[in-house]
Amino acid sequence: MSEDQQKNCCEHSSGEPTATRSSAPIWIIVLTLALLFLGGVYFDHNSGWFNPRVYAPYQTAEQLDAYQPKSGAAAALARGKGVYESVCGICHGADGLGKPGMAPPLAGSEWVLTKGFNRLAHIPLAGVNGAITVEGKDWTMAMAAMGAALPDDDLAAVLTYIRGSWGNKAGPITGDDIKKIRAELGKNPAPVTGDQLKALPE
Amino acid sequence: MKTGIGVFIAAAVALGASWAGLVLAPSLQLGNAKLTTVLNSTDAYPLQRPGMAAVGLQVYRANGCAACHTQQVQQDGSTFEVALTGAGKDPVTVSNLVATLKLTGLTKEAADAAAATIGAAGGKTETHLTATGADIARGWGTRHSVAADYLYDAPVQPGSLRAGPDLANIGVRAADANWQLVHLYAPRAVVKDSTMPSFAYLFEVRPVGAMPSAEALKLPAGFTAPAGFEVVPTMAAKQLAAYLLSLRSDAPLYEAPYSQTAKP
Repeated sequence: MSEDQQKNCCEHSSGEPTATRSSAPIWIIVLTLALLFLGGVYFDHNSGWFNPRVYAPYQTAEQLDAYQPKSGAAAALARGKGVYESVCGICHGADGLGKPGMAPPLAGSEWVLTKGFNRLAHIPLAGVNGAITVEGKDWTMAMAAMGAALPDDDLAAVLTYIRGSWGNKAGPITGDDIKKIRAELGKNPAPVTGDQLKALPE
Repeated sequence: MKTGIGVFIAAAVALGASWAGLVLAPSLQLGNAKLTTVLNSTDAYPLQRPGMAAVGLQVYRANGCAACHTQQVQQDGSTFEVALTGAGKDPVTVSNLVATLKLTGLTKEAADAAAATIGAAGGKTETHLTATGADIARGWGTRHSVAADYLYDAPVQPGSLRAGPDLANIGVRAADANWQLVHLYAPRAVVKDSTMPSFAYLFEVRPVGAMPSAEALKLPAGFTAPAGFEVVPTMAAKQLAAYLLSLRSDAPLYEAPYSQTAKP
């Protein structure tokens, strides 16, 4: 390569390239700020401010609080159904008709359809041991205190469910009612018989 | 390179920002997730999966179930419904009033207004919240999935592709162990036109012998084993079925509320 050619080829490049300073166009700055602002608005609207309990479609903790459903009669029945099927239904049957030789029926039972619920609540809290007559049939029962380990509101829900299902129509029971009866019974109450239950107030 | 330090700083900021957004923030937000309680009750949620089901998660993982099945229910919104629970002293007025009002598919404000109107006339109401969305309309769940649903799962198997249906609530939809096992052994036996491959290698086809196995599958006609043989699930199949039965993310929670209105 001759000296001439080399000079010709590289006339415009003089040594190492260098970065030069030039100001960014104003529209890029404006666009960036506008995008940041819109992002901020979107974040404020949808993020719940990092609250771990706020998920889409809910937007704020306040909205979530306002949307919480009240615990109504339907919810208590649904809750009682769940407890019934896991605790009581194994012996008394999902249909409340009982099982011959195992557990008496709850549907239409005079022990369930009482005006008050004192006697009924004694059955799961103390257990039944001995003779009891249900719907005209004599049973010899050995039922453990199945409800003693349940929380008050669970036991109340399941008794409410029993009193309001399979054609039964008796009033609801609250957790406070159960708490009172549990306190009266004390720890590890002795199981009752049908006659002992009858001696109790309804 | 005179601007080397600038490039390094810019790269560190870019990587650091995405790390902060994708790793640090979620970890701070949900890293300390604890047991929560079911709405309006004292029940803990979620419950530990029983032993068989906990091992079944690893069978689910080993067989690549998450490649075709998700475990995440999406929710688009929620609607309110006002239900009349008591007509009060003047049932005729209340029932006439109720007939004129729109009581389903309401917003929170409209539901409160309707309940107040009926309350003013002496009627008693309950307001029910229902979650809405395409997944919920398909019957895949009653609410959106939340972090608590996966608390005890390691690794979490949320999946991303839906060649098959979502399984977040398969234990609610098909709460029958025999159905689950038959479906794993011969999917077309219980779901016509299913595209799921058969997981027959999780089962043993063996001669019945002197005493039929109590665990032998009850297969529908056309899918039964040859005469004199029975289909018995292996331990892996039983674990997988137990895991599928334990997939029940339907409890109402504070973060995913809805009203349970199951009729007894």
